[in-house]
Amino acid sequence: MNSIRVRVLLTLLGMLAVVALVMGALTYRNVLGETEALFDYQLRQMALSLRDQGEIAPEQASTLNDEQLDVVVQIWTVDGRIIYPPRLRSDLPSRARLGFADIAVDGKTWRTFSVATGDRVIQVAQPLQIRQKLAADAALRSVAPLFLIAPALALVLWWLAARALAPLQRVTDGVKARDELSLQPLPTGGLPDEVAPLVGALNGLLQRLGDSLGAQRAFVADAAHELRSPLTALKLQLQLLQRSPDDGARAEATRALAAGIDRAARLVEQLLSLARAEPGAVMTAPHTMIGLADVVRNAVAETQPYADARGTRIEVDADAPVLVQGDGAALTVLARNLVDNAVRYAPPGSRVDVKVWNDAGVPTLRVDDAGPGIAPADRERVFDRFYRHAAGDESGSGLGLAIVRGIAAQHQAGVTLEDSPLGGLRVVVRFAE
Amino acid sequence: MRLLLVEDDRMIGDSLRAALRLEGHAVDWVRDAASAQATLASERFDFVLLDLGLPATAAPGAETRLDGGLDVLRALRARRDATPVIVLTARDGPGDKVAGLDAGADDYLVKPFDLDELGARIRAVLRRQSGRAESTLAVGGVSLDPATRQVTLNGAPVLLSAREFAVLEALMQRPGALLSRAQLEDRLYGWGEEIESNAVSVYIHQLRRKLGADFIQNVRGVGYSVGAR
Repeated sequence: MNSIRVRVLLTLLGMLAVVALVMGALTYRNVLGETEALFDYQLRQMALSLRDQGEIAPEQASTLNDEQLDVVVQIWTVDGRIIYPPRLRSDLPSRARLGFADIAVDGKTWRTFSVATGDRVIQVAQPLQIRQKLAADAALRSVAPLFLIAPALALVLWWLAARALAPLQRVTDGVKARDELSLQPLPTGGLPDEVAPLVGALNGLLQRLGDSLGAQRAFVADAAHELRSPLTALKLQLQLLQRSPDDGARAEATRALAAGIDRAARLVEQLLSLARAEPGAVMTAPHTMIGLADVVRNAVAETQPYADARGTRIEVDADAPVLVQGDGAALTVLARNLVDNAVRYAPPGSRVDVKVWNDAGVPTLRVDDAGPGIAPADRERVFDRFYRHAAGDESGSGLGLAIVRGIAAQHQAGVTLEDSPLGGLRVVVRFAE
Repeated sequence: MRLLLVEDDRMIGDSLRAALRLEGHAVDWVRDAASAQATLASERFDFVLLDLGLPATAAPGAETRLDGGLDVLRALRARRDATPVIVLTARDGPGDKVAGLDAGADDYLVKPFDLDELGARIRAVLRRQSGRAESTLAVGGVSLDPATRQVTLNGAPVLLSAREFAVLEALMQRPGALLSRAQLEDRLYGWGEEIESNAVSVYIHQLRRKLGADFIQNVRGVGYSVGAR
């Protein structure tokens, strides 16, 4: 049972029990001490008065024999012959010790007080048990109220716990009522100070979840929309292929269909890259020390066929050893997107410069092209996903720079767009030192 | 028929133009809103296929607007130009369809669409526009079904090439009306397509041979017509 109410209740009852035990024990000890002194005094007085009386009157004898009194008187002669009581009782101490004594007979302990007179020994005895019983009764009486109020206390506590925990129940109901579509914050009004921080933290989490979910939804909606164009093209290209009246048209339609499939595949690949580069994406690989020059050479090698097809020359200046902390695959995607963009938007036959170096200790990657460039006013918006800058013949996915910025952010690197001496765009990626 | 295709996506535009040409249409293709406006203001088309998501201009940096085509459509209708328009949209929310239809579109298609469906919708819009309910055109003993592209003469099928069919369809859509050689050439060739000299005369000759010498009348120096005048 892991209920706070039950635990509080059990703790209270346990504490009550301990208190009752301690109180009972203390009372028992005190009462026992008090009765001891009192009864000892009584025994002594009785014995002394018997000694002073000399004889036991008959009416007194019956009183002394009263079993209820729990006091037993025995009188011996000096030579040990018992003269009182008339009937011998085997369960009584058979010998007297002068003064106070505890004498055990058949497992029963007697408290005795004996005095000697000229010719007799008088012993007054009382079972010790009677004192213990008296003390126990007194202890029990002192503890009894505790046991009486325990159920009432438990009830009150049960109710108090229910009241104190009611806000938690409200929060629980509130959270239960939320689903992935309704992540509005939980109400914080009237919450006790102990619960308010929990709800505040929950609301923070809901807020972040909502933001992340909204971003994901927007991404999926954008992606679905962006996939429509390539799919429309594919469908049309396929139908065109089916309708081709002759071999020439069929060859042309097949070539177009292949290009359409390439385009759709590239878009899907870019979407995946972006999904990995988006803030909040699960890191795909741990960061290690990476040679930036190698990364860039790999990226250029991947883009080379496309550049060759366009007659564009890629000049790589990456001789200095430049190390960055990062995910090699992601950095390759970053570099490839930059080089690919440069080749894509640069006029065919022009030059693309790629440079990697330590700029005053800062690992830096720079890509220059001779394309149309990007006006300063647009340099922030081109990082938005699906923002297509050029309306020309080049069918970019509109994702390249969004991917670049996402990966750069994961590596604490900054991306800036500038004018290139080649006449087009210069992209500079500066990594953390 | 002479069609204007307004579509910014190169692959979609390429394929659509090729497919429409296969059906015998003359297709002109522009890729941004400004070119579409200019073209529609200066030339006449039988039909317009209009993508809604268009860049404003062809200049680099022009942003593609999701409803850029609506401006083209509104401007067209504002000039009281009744040229039939089918809107192509990548968004399938009811809002986009409603916006397109309310702006003056005759019909819409959601990408990705089927070429057969596109053809059927084009024919349906043309039929509605000409006030006809039946789908086949009939003049004299000749009947022409734009959907199946079948032509019969007194019930017997007649085989026509795509361009012969286009010429015959143009003539039969408005029986009795005279169509000039230039008008017929417009229906046959898009921009940039090399017009074969004398081509119209060749197609008319072929049609007369297949459908009877006096089916197509010729008013020398003016043009051609079918049916009673």
